[in-house]
Formats: sequence, structure tokens, C-alpha cells
Amino acid sequence: MDTFETLRQIIVDKYERDVSSITPESNLRALDFDSLNAFEIIFELEEKFDINVPTQIVPLDTLQDVVNLIDKTRSEQGK
Amino acid sequence: MRRVVVTGIGIISPVGNNPYEFFINLMTGTSGIRQLETDFSALLQVKIAASVNDFNPLAHFPKNKASNLDRTTQFALVASRQGIADSGLDLYKEDRARVGVYFGTGMGSISTIDQGYARLYRNNADRLNPVALLTSMNNAAGSQIVLDFAITGPSMTFCTACSSSTVAIGEASRVIRYGHADVMLAGGSEAMLTYGAMKAWEGLRTLALADPENLAASCKPFSLDRSGLVLGEGAAMLVLEEYEHAKARGAHIYGEIIGYGNCSDSAHITQPSVEGQVRAMRLALKEAGIAGHELDYINAHGTGTQLNDKIETAAIKQVCGATVPVSSTKSMHGHLMGASGAVEFVACLMAMEKQAIPPTANLKKSDPECDLDYVPNKGRANVRVNTVMSNSFAFGGTSAVLIARTL
Repeated sequence: MDTFETLRQIIVDKYERDVSSITPESNLRALDFDSLNAFEIIFELEEKFDINVPTQIVPLDTLQDVVNLIDKTRSEQGK
Repeated sequence: MRRVVVTGIGIISPVGNNPYEFFINLMTGTSGIRQLETDFSALLQVKIAASVNDFNPLAHFPKNKASNLDRTTQFALVASRQGIADSGLDLYKEDRARVGVYFGTGMGSISTIDQGYARLYRNNADRLNPVALLTSMNNAAGSQIVLDFAITGPSMTFCTACSSSTVAIGEASRVIRYGHADVMLAGGSEAMLTYGAMKAWEGLRTLALADPENLAASCKPFSLDRSGLVLGEGAAMLVLEEYEHAKARGAHIYGEIIGYGNCSDSAHITQPSVEGQVRAMRLALKEAGIAGHELDYINAHGTGTQLNDKIETAAIKQVCGATVPVSSTKSMHGHLMGASGAVEFVACLMAMEKQAIPPTANLKKSDPECDLDYVPNKGRANVRVNTVMSNSFAFGGTSAVLIARTL
């Protein structure tokens, strides 16, 4: 399953955002997401991919940063 | 001393989601007690409750916001918005440092906690939602109300079981009386019809048995055949306002809060005491400057348990005599625990507003130990109701009493 597509679907479903506004370059702040929203999105991705993202995470600015974090974790945890 | 009046009412209840619908249903003896329709009903011994069935969170909150608010908080927020709208206050024109929130709840965000336990211990999940903590903390609802209205005055959450919201309203009235705020949103909310909470109540063996002929009539306060309380859910939030502040803007005034009593039984964790209840009523009457027999209506705690109803009867008789009309509206809206005091105070305010007294439903068999005028089975319209008292007596022994009058 493609990480970005999954992420985009979560944002559309959970936050009711317009799908056309969501690109890998989209900035989390520009999408009006705070750090708590970012944690919620990561939680949803952990559920979807059955992974455990480390508690301490790197700063996330764009959706691509989120995708990179998830892909790295998926690869490390073989999921 | 500054005077405190009620200028707005918001309510979500098993018998109506605005004060007028709520009161008409009480007057007509309409019960909100019904079969509990949940995915865990089959696992319960007691399958009845006074649930709020016509509440759609998505009509009030965006999808993501709704999922981050416990049902208790959802009720509290909607009742608060309703109360503010009803008051006609434009909070943007107010100094919001002079506006505060005092909120009461017994079990707080128990739905979220229950779901979290199920997820961890039943489903063996190893993580919880990042907002689980913020959704379940006991001050979640109070905090969300503050945020919803950008209020910057005093805010506090009171947790004294069944008297929580009575305490919140009483304490809020003092905040205004002593000049620390001009407007207070005060009341409470409870949504504990969860598997874990209902099992805990079952264990205590105080829940009413379902009436085999009429489920809606299962709660029978003061009746010889009463078998216990029926759990309910809902919220009521009132706008309390300093009298001159309310008068200056031409606000509609439901009534003035003239007395509040609060004391501890210090006797037993569940069993009520005549002495404690008498003291709480006397404290409120002393502050109000009236005698017990001068009251026009008393909304009793009236849970429908064998013990509560006879103890409360003895206490009322000692303080007010035997002639003041007393009713238990729990017979219709059930026991809303931490929210019950606020909901029942709304019944009192509406009794003054409509000059009518709601009945005690399902009182068919008289109990020699319960011998007051309980307004049995039929409400009284066109009667004088200028002074009212609302009793709340809690597990843990915090007794709280409010007295209000018309202006």
C-alpha cells in the first residue's frame, strides 16, 4: 500500500479536507495541523501499517516528511 | 452583597433537549426510561436506562473534533452553547476575564476510559490514541467549554458524585456574589451508560428492576414498591449573572439564586444521613433568609432507593414540615449522577417560569415512611411557585442544596 495515498485518505476522511489540496509538498501548518494533529495522523498510519513509530520523532514540516518517517519505520520493521 | 440571577438555560436530557420541551415532558409525566440499545446490552442484568437518543454529535462538531470529545464533553459543550444563546449574551462584547466556568461531573469521560481499557486489555492493543489522555482527563469538559468561548475568568471542575453540578452552581454563585466574576457558566454533564460503569452499578445492587408491565415506569420514588434508581445521561449548563449586569442589558431572568448549602455527612460512603441532609437544607435556608415552610416547591434528590427516600422524607419534614409540595423528577429523567443536580435545578427554574409543579411519576403505593405531598403522578398547573429548593445528596456524603426565587 502506498504510504502517501494512505496518508492522503486519512486526511480526507478524518479531517474532511479537499483532496486536491493534499500533495507531498503540503506543509502541515498550512493545512492547519498542529503537533497534536500530526501525532493523530501518525497513530492512524501506525494502525494501517501495523508498525510502531518511535516515541521521539524528528520535526515534521511537510507530508513528505511524514511519508519518509513511516517508510523508514516500515522498512526497519519489515511491514 | 451582589445578587446572582439565572439568565440562560441549556439542557440535553432523556426527556428533551431544551428547557421547554424538558419541562412539558415532566409536567405530562413523559418518561425517558427505556430499553438500553447497545452492543453490550445482552451482557447486562439491568437493561434499562434513561438514555439520550436524539443527539447527533456531527450536527454540532466537525468529524475530527467530535471524535476527540467524550460524550460527556459533547453534552456539556452543546448545553453551554444553548445556555449562552438563551441568555442573549454577546460574549465578544464582554470582558471575558470576568466570565468563568464551574463544571461538575461524577465519572467524567468514562466512555473514553472504558473504550481505552477494552482496547488495551481485551483487544491486546499496545497503543492508545494520542488524544486519549486529553479526552479522558476529568477537567476535559470544563476545559473545552473555556476554549469554545475563549473565556479567561475562573474555571474549575467539581467531582462530588451525585451532587457535583449542584456544587458547581452553588460555588459559581459565590464567585459572582463575592465579585470575582460577572458571568459564570455553571452546571454539569454525565454520560456513563458504558459497559464498565453499568457493571459497577450492577455490583452495587441499587439499580431499579425493570417494571414488567411498563419499562418507562421502572423508577418509583417514594412508592412502597420502589426498587432502586435508573441510570440516566445528559447535561445542563446555566448562565449565572450578576443582577445589575443582567438588568442593564434587559436580560430575561429565570430566577435569583438566594441560598446554597454544602456540608459533609461524614457517616457512610453510601448511606445517607438525616442529620447531614438537614444541615445542608438549613445552611441554604439560612443564606436565603427564609423558613423551610415558606418554600413553594422542593425538587427532591428522590433516587427511588428504599433508603434514600425515607431518609430524605424525614429530613425534609424536620426542616420544612409536611405541607410543601415535593417531587422527584428522577422518576422520568432517571439519575443523571453528576449532572442530576443541574438538570433538577432547571426543573425548579422552569417551575417558577411556568408557575407549575412537575409530578413524581409512578407513585402508586404509599409507604408509611414516605408521607409528604409528593405531587403524585399528575403535575399541578396554575399554582404559585415563587420559591424553590433543589436537593442533591451524594455517595461520599457531600450534600448540596440550592434555593432560588422569582424576582
